Amino acid sequence: MRIGLFRFMRIGLFRSYGVAVVVAALLASAGCSASPSSRSEPQADAASRTVRPVRGCGEASWTDPADMSPKRQPARCEPGAPAPRRLPETRKLTIATGTLSAEYVAPLQVAIDKGEFEREGLDVTLRVLPTPDALPLLARGEIDALWAAPEAAVMNGLRGGFDIKWVAGNFSPDPASKSGLWVRLKDGESADRVTMAGRTLGTMIGKGSVIAYPMEQALERHGGGLDKIQYQQLGSADVLTALQNGGVDSAWLLDPVWRTVDGTPGYAFLGGQPPGEPLGGLLYGPSLLNDDMDAGVALIRAYIRTVNSYFASDYKKDASFVTYLANLLKADESTLKSTPPLRMDWEIRAGTTDRLQSAYAAQGVAEGDLLPESQTVNRALYEEAVGHRP
Amino acid sequence: MTTIAPDRESVLVRAPGPHELHPVRTHRRRRALELSLAVAVPLALILLWQLAAAQAWIDDRVYPAPSTILADGWDRAAAGDLWPDVWATLKRVLAGYAIGTGAGYALGLLMGSLSLVRAALEPLLDALYVVPKLALLPVFLNMFGLGEGPQVALVATTVFFFVWISTMSAVMSIPSGHRDAGQVFGASPWQMFRHVLLPASLPSVLVGARIAAGVAVLVIVASEQIAATNGLGHLIFDSRALFQNDVMFVGIVCVAVLGVLFSELVRVAGRLLTPWAPRDRGRGQS
Repeated sequence: MRIGLFRFMRIGLFRSYGVAVVVAALLASAGCSASPSSRSEPQADAASRTVRPVRGCGEASWTDPADMSPKRQPARCEPGAPAPRRLPETRKLTIATGTLSAEYVAPLQVAIDKGEFEREGLDVTLRVLPTPDALPLLARGEIDALWAAPEAAVMNGLRGGFDIKWVAGNFSPDPASKSGLWVRLKDGESADRVTMAGRTLGTMIGKGSVIAYPMEQALERHGGGLDKIQYQQLGSADVLTALQNGGVDSAWLLDPVWRTVDGTPGYAFLGGQPPGEPLGGLLYGPSLLNDDMDAGVALIRAYIRTVNSYFASDYKKDASFVTYLANLLKADESTLKSTPPLRMDWEIRAGTTDRLQSAYAAQGVAEGDLLPESQTVNRALYEEAVGHRP
Repeated sequence: MTTIAPDRESVLVRAPGPHELHPVRTHRRRRALELSLAVAVPLALILLWQLAAAQAWIDDRVYPAPSTILADGWDRAAAGDLWPDVWATLKRVLAGYAIGTGAGYALGLLMGSLSLVRAALEPLLDALYVVPKLALLPVFLNMFGLGEGPQVALVATTVFFFVWISTMSAVMSIPSGHRDAGQVFGASPWQMFRHVLLPASLPSVLVGARIAAGVAVLVIVASEQIAATNGLGHLIFDSRALFQNDVMFVGIVCVAVLGVLFSELVRVAGRLLTPWAPRDRGRGQS
């Protein structure tokens, strides 16, 4: 028997290339599964849809997006309105959310629990997914909606050609809330006389979050700016500790952490999310924007009905409802009770995405030109749900 | 007594192969083939990736084409945006690596030489060895605060265990005859270290150090994601959070290049430091 070296080399060569071919095939198959179906053109024209008046949703069910008054009352219909309009066939929908236990997810959780989606013929599943992971899935139609915010990642995805739009708001803070920018005062400083330029800011929220916008506002009012401070991203447990032990000069404190320093000498609240201006909510991909707009409107209708029925005003006055919420969200009841209620608001203010993008630019996380609101926001679905003709 | 003559027809006759007839030429061809494969396989995969992106077989917004990554990396490097992150990671790796290697070698030498020290420390270090090093980051954050300390400490701890284990086992496996010879010649502790322990253990120690070089880069990238405001790990995860996938891939490529260069540097240093050791010619070479 004679085994030549070149035969051995050929075998080696084939083995090496065999591996390469297998890897290549895997790469190609992975790529094929990620086929960019999201580049499809809109199939339905939102403007051609018929908008009918809705019983229980009067004038108060819509407010002018240009109304930026902090005292504006959020749009409301009567409890139980708008009434469900069941789809001919049950439609399965998947909504991605960053968390299931935060208070701002409560309207979706309650809508599922109380059967509001079911009444519309929707079988809704919530899936926990961070926004950057959810974006490609949303654009490909593998998930239908995203309960998040038009973060810098979303804007970058839109610039890349993703067909995604912000279609409904979520909440604005209660005027009593002091969730926002807190600073440790130095000698001789007060809340009115603090210079933020050059200071460190601890936050658990990364760059490119919508919080950049109120953060920029608060910093500018106090001689700072997103480009004039040094960020220190920290874990949720470490933000307060770092502020208290001097690790950072200031911090963005969320509910209910700010209560720890509220009223404590040496700390000052410089500002939080603007009142009356939601910065997040529902984002739709092509499946609900174009392919099945009826389901898209039905989902928003159920959400709006849930807000009108359960979150129309101070829902924390009802102790049994807070207990119910705590169990539903698997959250700490005392924490829920300790913070003011959120002002649930399904509408989107004019220019919010412009202001957000300016803040992202100041933070240095935006690419390219600002996207006009027509490319980022679609109010037609919530307007149709409450029967408002533009 | 009977003598059996071998049956000539049943004898297996083996003709010499090319590696025996022309050893130099065959070796050269073999090396050329290996080099070609080492270059061609990654190149083919990159070309396939480029083709897949160009033909829209894959979504190039999620998996940018290699040409896009290269162009973006070039622009960032030319604009000076990339170097601060590369330098930040490199500084942490080098500082942690130096501390970890020094401490690991010293303790490995001590524990390999003195059985009582080994008995006292080995169970504790064995227990710490299996703890995922990233899990120690919160501890280091508490100990060293928010600066460079936790990152450097994490790399140093990771490297320490690789070097410590390889040093201790190398020292323990030195044949007793070598030590006896040193003692017979009346070697002082320093001479014993310089002329017996060091040359006998260094090749194995450098193997551990080379493995640690790769792991150091791996650990720092994960750590920078959690508790750093710059560095390649921060760049990768920050750009992922911002859906800047081209930047994310630039960071990944930089980490890969940094890891390979650092590991090769340690290998070359090892060759220069231990000319008596069997020659390590790198990966995939016969």
